[in-house]
This record gives sequence, C-alpha cells and structure tokens, in this order.
Amino acid sequence: MTDGLHAITVTINGEARPLRVAPSRTLLDVLRTELGLTGTKKGCDVGDCGACTVLLDGTPVNACLVLAVEADGAAVTTIEGIAPAAGQLHPLQQSFMDLGASQCGFCTPGIIVMAKALLDRHPDPSEEDIRFGLAGNICRCTGYTKIIEAVKDAARRLAAAPPPAGR
Amino acid sequence: MTSVIGRSVTRWDTLGKVTGSAVYAGDVALPGLLHGKIKRSTVAHARIRAIDASRALALPGVRAVLTHADVPRVLHYGSPHPRSASVTKDQYILDTTVRYHGEGVAAVAADSEEIAEAALELITVDYEPLPALLTVADALAPGAPAIHAVGPGGNLVLDPVVVTRGDVAAGFAAADLIVEGTYTLGRPVPAYMEPNVCVCQWDALGKLTIWTSTQSPFMVRGTLAEVLGLPLTKVRVLVDHMGGGFGAKQDLFQHEFLCALLAQRTGRPVRMEFSRKETFLGGRTRHSGSIRLKQGFRRDGTITAREAEIVFDSGAYGSHGPGVTAVATASLTSLYRCDNVHLVGRCVYTNTPIAGAFRGYGVVQSYYALDSQMDEAAEQLGLDPAALKLMNAVRDGDLAPSGHPIVGHGLEDCIRRGLEETGWAARRAAPKSHDTGRRRRGWGMGCEMHGSSAYPGIKEQGNAIVRMNEDGTVTLFTGTTGLGTGAHTALAQITAEELGVRFEDVAVVHGDTDVVPWDIGAFASHTTYMAGRACQMAAAQVKAKVLARAADRLEVAADDLDIRDGVVTVRGVPGLSLTVADAIAAERGIPAPQLVGEDSYRPTKSYSFAAHFVEVEVDTETGQIDVVQVVPVHEIGKVIHPVAAAGQIEGGIQQGIGHTLTEDFRVDPRDGRPLNASFVDYKMPLAMDMPPIRTIILETAPDEGGPFGAKGVGEDPIIAIGPAIANAVHDAIGVRFRHYPITPEQVLAALAEKGATPTPGAADQPDQTDQ
Ligand code: FES
Ligand code: FES
Repeated sequence: MTDGLHAITVTINGEARPLRVAPSRTLLDVLRTELGLTGTKKGCDVGDCGACTVLLDGTPVNACLVLAVEADGAAVTTIEGIAPAAGQLHPLQQSFMDLGASQCGFCTPGIIVMAKALLDRHPDPSEEDIRFGLAGNICRCTGYTKIIEAVKDAARRLAAAPPPAGR
Repeated sequence: MTSVIGRSVTRWDTLGKVTGSAVYAGDVALPGLLHGKIKRSTVAHARIRAIDASRALALPGVRAVLTHADVPRVLHYGSPHPRSASVTKDQYILDTTVRYHGEGVAAVAADSEEIAEAALELITVDYEPLPALLTVADALAPGAPAIHAVGPGGNLVLDPVVVTRGDVAAGFAAADLIVEGTYTLGRPVPAYMEPNVCVCQWDALGKLTIWTSTQSPFMVRGTLAEVLGLPLTKVRVLVDHMGGGFGAKQDLFQHEFLCALLAQRTGRPVRMEFSRKETFLGGRTRHSGSIRLKQGFRRDGTITAREAEIVFDSGAYGSHGPGVTAVATASLTSLYRCDNVHLVGRCVYTNTPIAGAFRGYGVVQSYYALDSQMDEAAEQLGLDPAALKLMNAVRDGDLAPSGHPIVGHGLEDCIRRGLEETGWAARRAAPKSHDTGRRRRGWGMGCEMHGSSAYPGIKEQGNAIVRMNEDGTVTLFTGTTGLGTGAHTALAQITAEELGVRFEDVAVVHGDTDVVPWDIGAFASHTTYMAGRACQMAAAQVKAKVLARAADRLEVAADDLDIRDGVVTVRGVPGLSLTVADAIAAERGIPAPQLVGEDSYRPTKSYSFAAHFVEVEVDTETGQIDVVQVVPVHEIGKVIHPVAAAGQIEGGIQQGIGHTLTEDFRVDPRDGRPLNASFVDYKMPLAMDMPPIRTIILETAPDEGGPFGAKGVGEDPIIAIGPAIANAVHDAIGVRFRHYPITPEQVLAALAEKGATPTPGAADQPDQTDQ
C-alpha cells in the first residue's frame, strides 16, 4: 500500500469485489463511483437522511457513515441486489410501484432497503413498526402514506409467497 | 373502450426508481470527470477587495480556479422566465459584492472532491465589510444602504403591488365588526432530497452539454446561452430523473455557470454537486415576512371590506420575488368574497438567503392569514367557522385573482363534503374541556384555491409532439420535466385516451432540449393542465390522419370511424374493423406519410379548490402539537391518475405540517450566519410524525380548458393545511397564534399567559370528547 490505498474485498450483492481504496473513502462513495452502483443515493453525506441505506451483513447502515475499509470482508446489499433474480422484482419493489410509493424516487432505494431489513426481522409489522423502522429515512414527496401502504402490501405478498433467497 | 383516464396505471418512471437504475444528474459518469466546488462567502454583506487563489492553483490535482475576474460579467435573471414580470434581473455569475452569507465567490475544479475542498481552504478573500441588513425593517429604514444598484430603490425588489376594488372606507364604515391582525411568516425551505447538481461537458465544436437537476431545462438553456454568449444550438440541457424541486429548482444557482466555465477552461467534464449544507445556504426559501390583514364584517357574516399589507423578505436577490408578491397580493381578492379590497404587497431585499419560488408561491402565506382571520371572525360573530366560510366562499362567475371568472362551485363542494366526512356539526356541538386535562384535542378547517398555470404573470404555453410509429405505437415528445409527480404518465394517459390506443402503446420522450418541444418548465401546477391539453390536441391531429387513411381502406367516411384500444371501428357496423397498425401499413410498398401531430396550448387560468379538516392534540405540559388526522378534500376538475393525485396531496400536507409546526431556516440576527443548515437542525415531519390522511378528490367543477376537464393539484395541498392546523390549535386550547411555525415554547408561553396550564393531578388523558 505504498500509494496509501488499502486492498479490501467486499462481497457486493453476492459477488466478491477486490478493491483498492483510500482509508478516508466512504462506502457510499466507493459504491457510487468505483463500483458504479448509483442506485444508492447521497442526500446529505452526514448520516441524517437515510438515502444511502444499504445492508452490511444484513444490518441496515448509512453507507455515508461507513468507511469502505470497515466493510472489508463483509457482505453489502444495495438496491441493485434486492431483487431475487435479474428481470424480477422484490415484492417491496413491486408494491412501491403498484401503490405509488415513489414520487421523485430519490429516497426510494434507501427506503426499500430499510424496509427489507424491517421485513427480514418482522415479517408482519404493525403500522407503528413500519413508521419506527423508517424513522431515519427522509422522504419529502409522499407524506409517507403510500410508503407505509406499500410496505404492508409487500409483507402480505411475502407471507403469501416467500421469494427464493436474495443475493 | 375502457377509459385510461382516472385509472392509476403503473407509472412508467417508477421501475427505474425502485430498482436503482433511474439516472439522476449526479449519477452521470464520464471519462476524465473533474469535481467542482464553490467557495462561499463567510460574511453577509461586503465588497471583495481581492481574492488570492495562487495557493489553491498550486495544489497538486487542482485544474482550474475561477473568481469574478475570470467569468463573463453579464447581468442575468437568476430565475429565468425570460423577461416575464415574475422575476428580476439582478445577478452576476460571480460579483465583486457579496450580499448574503453563503454566496459563491470562487470555484475550483480538481481531480477529486477532496482536493477541490482542500483548494477552497487555500483561497483567501479580502472582504471590505458593508452593513448587513438582516431584517426587512433594517432594509426599509431611512438611509439604509442599497443592497442592489438595480430595482426601484429603497431596497425594494419591485414597486409596490397595489390591488384595489370597490371602496374600502365605505366597506369598513358599513361593518358591524372589524377584525385586524398581523401574521408573521417563518422561513421554510423546500428541502428536496436531491441536492443541486450538474455535470458539464463541451464538445470539439464548442457545444455545451449539461446534465442538471432542474424543473425548467429550456430556461437553463436560454440563460446559459445568453450569459455565455452562445446560440441556443450550442447548449443542450439533459434532465432524466430529478429528486424533487418543489418550485425552487426553477432558478439557476451559480453552479450551472461555474461548472460550464470550469469544464470549458479545463477541457474536461466537470461535476458540481451541492452538499446538503449548500442546499440551505445557496438554495431558495419560501418568502418570510409579515401580513397585516384587516376585515370588516356585517353581523350576518358578510365581508364588507378587506385591507392588507404584505411585506415579503426577498433575501439577497429578487428571484421570483415579483411573481410571488403579485400572486400573494392578488390572492387576497378572493377565496372569500369581498367587493371592497385594498391590498398592497412589497418585496424587500435583505442580506439573507435568497427567497424564491416554492410550492404555493405566496399563497401559503396570504391564505394562512386570511383563513386564520376568518376563524377568528367567526368566533367573534358567534358563528361556526365552517358556516362563515361557506357563506362567503367564491363561486361560479366570481372574479378570480387572475381576473378570470371562476368556473363552478368547487370551494363550496369541498367544504360541504368535508363537513359530512368529519361529522363537523356534531364535533362543534360537543362540549369542550379547554381548561382541564394535559392533552387537549381540537378540530380546524382551512380553505384555499390555486391557479393551474402561472398566467397572467407568465405568458405560458404547453407544447407537444405526438408521432405514430409504423406498428401503431405512439411516441409522445414533451419538454416537461419529470419532477416526481408522475406527470409524464398522466400525459401518456391523455394521449392514449384521445388517440384511442392502449396506454401501454404510448412511450414518452423527454429531458433533452435538442429533441423535445420547447417548454417553460414544470411548475405552477400546470403540467397536466397545460401540457396535457397540448398532448390532447396533438393526439387529435394524429387520430384524424389515421382515420383518413382507415377511411380509404374501409371505403367509408372518416366521420363514421372511431378508434378504441388500437382498433378502428365503424359506427353501426359491428363486423367491420381494422387495427391501427393495418390502417397505417404501407400501401403497394409505399409507407404511410409521417403521422405526426403537434400543437401549442395557451392557457388562460383555471382554479382548483380545497378544504382541509384537521384534528390536533396539544400536550399542555410540553407544548407539543401533534396532528392526529387530516381529511383533505380537493376539487380538481377531473382526476387523470388518482394515486398520483393523492400522492401530491399527501406530500403537500407533509410539507405544510412542517411549515406550520417545525420548519424555519434561521439566520443569526447579529451577522446573518445560517443557524440550522442541516437535516438534524432543520426539523421536518417524518414517518413517525405524519398522521393518517384520508384524501377525498372531487370532480365537480371541471375546466373546459384542461384535458378532459382536468385542473392542477401540485400546489393546492400545501396551502390549506396551515390555517387548518392553527385553527385546530385554537379549538383545542383557546389560543390564537398569528404566525408560523408554532413552536412548543410558544404554546407553553401562551398557555402560561392565559393561566391555562393543566391542573396538577388532572387526568393524563386526551380530550376524547370529539371522538
Ligand atoms: S446520505 Fe447517508 S444518511 Fe444522508
Ligand atoms: S419520493 Fe421524493 S423524497 Fe421520497
């Protein structure tokens, strides 16, 4: 690491990705720039908005608050890795489309990833659970009404037909 | 045929949004991309004596630095509705004077964002301080220094807007009751989730391409061309998806020019992206200020006179100040009928962040005052506020603020429906328990009307090109921007319906100023109304061409034909039909001539209406106000896409709750430094705060100018919610607040003054009398 870069390996959406990154670089910047995974959004870069939510070993984190080197050896799931297979949608994605839970869409990837983490833990969440689960995700467009409906709808779909294990 | 109008088809822009593949300006990656950053002033008002950028230029990885000495000095409309009366021409790309804390004074392009940020620190600016005028009172004080050399003087952005009808003095003389109050307006910001961002690249022929997050791509094109001295053929503006704008992203924010010039100077593409803090500092706010409102009433509730004095704080530049002031002032002629009005609106420069266009455009402010005062007047007259509002509601044939006659009885319909839905009469009749209990509940209502389109302030037009392809599918070209409202889906629905093809067979091309028809921008609740009507007109042309061709093939008169679900049918002859694709197929090897329709629609004005009913709960120990539920009733002529329309309403209510209870972008009264430029310190209602919303949409007053009768809905919901909350708070605790936001400290102070703090040991129960 004579160039000051650290060699790390992160499993991104199921694929091991060797990377060389500066120690100060956030996981968010590495995802968006080095890896071209621009679905994860930057709304504030300081942990206040949730637009950058990804799963780190299954736990939702603000990627802007995680240094890429901290993710060395971990598994990261982004919005691009939520669907069970190419050409298919995760029930959350389908419900968000069907019920109009996405307007400008800038908060949507972070909210869907956060909602997935919620449903992974609570397959049958109450409205309060959903509101609490999304408490750190800012949406300025929707008033949350349709987002909450969509998460409930996805929970119903998942209960009816659990998808094959995601990536 | 099953109509696609009024059906919540899946919006075609959402697949990319839920999968993360939708491309926003900040997602654009280009080889050799450099990163631009803006150095912002740390003082509110100063002349720049000198800027030393030498140390920044010497930093490895820095590719260019721009100061005022390096950029064209052309006065421009920061908000570019060219030469309309709504905006001002008072900005330079970089000036030698800074007028607010956070104004850009220099820009850097570097190999990385980190290097660019480090370079900003190495630029030194020598400021000669000027007196900072941080309030309207300071700016209007006799002898106050002029913030701008342009404008009418006295730190006014424009000459006062004066609207007079009838005889106010006679009106007040005839009044049995006069109610007067001054309403103080906070400074909310739009807080769109996507920070301002653009990417600029020049080609070998000297043509600029800019990917940017804007509501008005053609205005960006026009302004860049004018200021940079280019023909319109040499500026191409691309906007695919954008992460919200709420009106503010009609403006240019310095970075578009600076990014373009840095790209030109370095010969490399450059991206410039605001930090969240910069979206506060260099963004746009709603106009703060004050409204003094005085009305006279007869005992029976008739309004005899209305007088108002609006003073808006424009901040450091004019932006939409003229438009907002004119719209707010004119709005007070209406909503509640009054023959005698005298209204004056002023807009004042100060050394604070720039106020601009923001959903509701001055009417959030004016109707907060008007509707709150109606509630107060009802109390003094001993009337139910709903009854007072209903008896005075504007109706068919009344003069609207724009000077056009109102069509239909939309406002009355909204009020009546809301009264039924909420069981209002029973709630009002129920005994209140104002003086006991920690948590007290109350109901309030607020009303509004808002124009679809910015006419007559901005002379607008909607344009569309509709093209039928050889297989019978249709491509719609629109210059409107996909702000997140779902408008493009609505335009496709309108096109499909008019033409008689399936919704799935209409594709929308947008977002490239080199390709799509000219458009003034997505704002003023006009996209569905105005561009939608243009789509309908263009589609009708294509339909006529298809029918003419089908008539030849079927050997019947075109007048006897119609198209349904992509099939041409003959009236009264059930067996005879032809698919659209067959109708336009090549004949003897000769393809059909171009099947293109194009049209322009110049709207007049159409008003949508709403009445919002709100229940609040006030915690008298903490001062916290919770909105418990909202029942918004909107009249919008015709609903094209119910889910998208309801989404607009719910989102507007969210912002309106924020305005009324928590949101206020504050500057230090001593030096103009912003105090809460982050999402932690600027508090918006989020998932845990938002109440259930039961949206009701009426179609009782369709406008014949809109497509299938449709009117706008984008701005309406943010307007009525504010006074509804303030009125509900009064109902709950008997305190009348004449400002927003209404904070817990103020609630506690008001209760203490009233001597109405809860009795110790009183039941810690919400007041359930309304349930
Ligand atoms: S971008 Fe990470 S929380 Fe806002
Ligand atoms: S959809 Fe725009 S911020 Fe949520």
